[in-house]
Amino acid sequence: MKLQDFAQVVRSKNAGPRRFTLDVIFRDDADYRRAVQSGAFTSKKIAPLYGVAANAVSVINYPLGRAIKIVVPRKIMSGDPGDRDVYGAQQHTPLLELEL
Amino acid sequence: MSASARILDQFARSNGSAPMRILGASGQLGYGIPTPAFSAGLERHPHLIGCDMGSIDIGPYYLGSGEMATAPASTKRDLKKVLHGALKHKIPLVIGSAGSAGARPHLDQTLALVREIASDDGLGFRMAVLRADVDKNVLKAALKTKGVTPIDDMPALDDQDIDAAANIVGQMGMSAFQRALAAGVDVVIAGRACDTAIFAALPAMTGFPVGLAMHMAKIIECASLCCLPGGRDAILAMLDHEGFELDSMAPQRRATPVSVAAHSLYEQSDPFTVHEPEGRLDLARATYRAIDDRRTRVVGARWEDAREHWVKIEGARKVGERAVLLCGTADPKFIAQHNKLLKEVEIVVRDLVCEDTVEDYVLTWRVYGVQGVRMTPPVAETPPPEVFIMAECIAPTRERAAEVVRTTKQYLLHHGYEGRLSTGGNLAFPFTPPEVSIGPAYRFNIYHLMRTADLVGLFPLEIETL
Repeated sequence: MKLQDFAQVVRSKNAGPRRFTLDVIFRDDADYRRAVQSGAFTSKKIAPLYGVAANAVSVINYPLGRAIKIVVPRKIMSGDPGDRDVYGAQQHTPLLELEL
Repeated sequence: MSASARILDQFARSNGSAPMRILGASGQLGYGIPTPAFSAGLERHPHLIGCDMGSIDIGPYYLGSGEMATAPASTKRDLKKVLHGALKHKIPLVIGSAGSAGARPHLDQTLALVREIASDDGLGFRMAVLRADVDKNVLKAALKTKGVTPIDDMPALDDQDIDAAANIVGQMGMSAFQRALAAGVDVVIAGRACDTAIFAALPAMTGFPVGLAMHMAKIIECASLCCLPGGRDAILAMLDHEGFELDSMAPQRRATPVSVAAHSLYEQSDPFTVHEPEGRLDLARATYRAIDDRRTRVVGARWEDAREHWVKIEGARKVGERAVLLCGTADPKFIAQHNKLLKEVEIVVRDLVCEDTVEDYVLTWRVYGVQGVRMTPPVAETPPPEVFIMAECIAPTRERAAEVVRTTKQYLLHHGYEGRLSTGGNLAFPFTPPEVSIGPAYRFNIYHLMRTADLVGLFPLEIETL
């Protein structure tokens, strides 16, 4: 199953001008547990979607918010020449296709 | 008696028995404050109205240029609304990160609007102004004593970066706002500030636990964004000594334990820790409980005072003048080969515009429909039927940038290639001129922490009576 058919929220935003922060929020605790246990949310699996090294990506489980947070470095800092997404609000899209 | 003196006095007398109500009126003052929720909030007799007005998320242009991101008319409308609300109820109004980026020109434009409103409407009040500009010599001195450290793999700072920055600001924390409130004022307008400090300063100085005040502030600085559905309507927080309650002033917005907890993730790389100049907020033991189906109570946040003060500083420098070309194509042969064709045109243009001078510009393509948005190319099953092409040039002067994009337009339009059928032209222009001069381009060249032993001197307070 693809993440876009499963999650309640898949969003991205800058966390400062040098990081994207991606939040995946699930409908209920069962969905959250299933996602965590699926093994899909590892830095090794997510890093290639953003063309960065696995050790630069962090994945934080946040059961209180039924959420998984992913932090990815920006290859181009927000607003630098060549940037495509100053706010970083559209960088969730590679995650939508993630297979659970 | 000023509004801040009145509220401080009221809480000094209450000996910790009375809760404090804080109205988060706006997370982005200047884009419109919905009146029904704001009025509903005032009816609940808040002790403070707080508004955040800026962010680093909007990119380096505003900080560099000194321009506000919001339109003056809508900014004035919002300021007028919160000023009248605060003065009528004799409660302090606190605004942080004035004018989008919070440097001197942004703060001055905001103050000019406030003075205009006071004069238009015959309002009288005492106003505290907190400046956030970091003096270049202060920053250089900090650099010499290893008092500057990069954030998130930013390159190390040097004197050239500091000299090149058009504006440099520091994010002031709650201690700056506390100095302003202690001075007996009705209104506080601050330059660049931690969004939390706007809301946490008053409760923290009246004896409420700092961790709770700061956690509450972190949530209400975005108004009702922590709710389901999230929105920009005003939110009321009621703080006591054990926790706080959140109540959106828009009836359709529900603050649920999960929606509020999830908000701790928003725009933060770590959901458990928030760093402030005066200390660290620890949310590891925070818990969220429903009071009813649209209000949530939050407890458990801890605060740890900092041993030394580190202030986040932001600076932007000009990198050139920007011009763009806007056009589209629906030709399948062109779309199929676009990567190669754009590179060919780049060379044609370079050979022409650099015939008698150096290559002093950067030309960047974005091909929407193929890869205009994502940082890594999406997997496309079929070529898109149409694409939008934006060529962006950053050059030393406005004229040079315009020259490059105008030349690019002409040679991209008429570029010949293998298999071309459309010899009338490769591009569709939605209007002419399709080239637009945007103006100066900036980049963040400072995003660092600076150590300071003088928070008072760094964020000076001025008092103005209107």
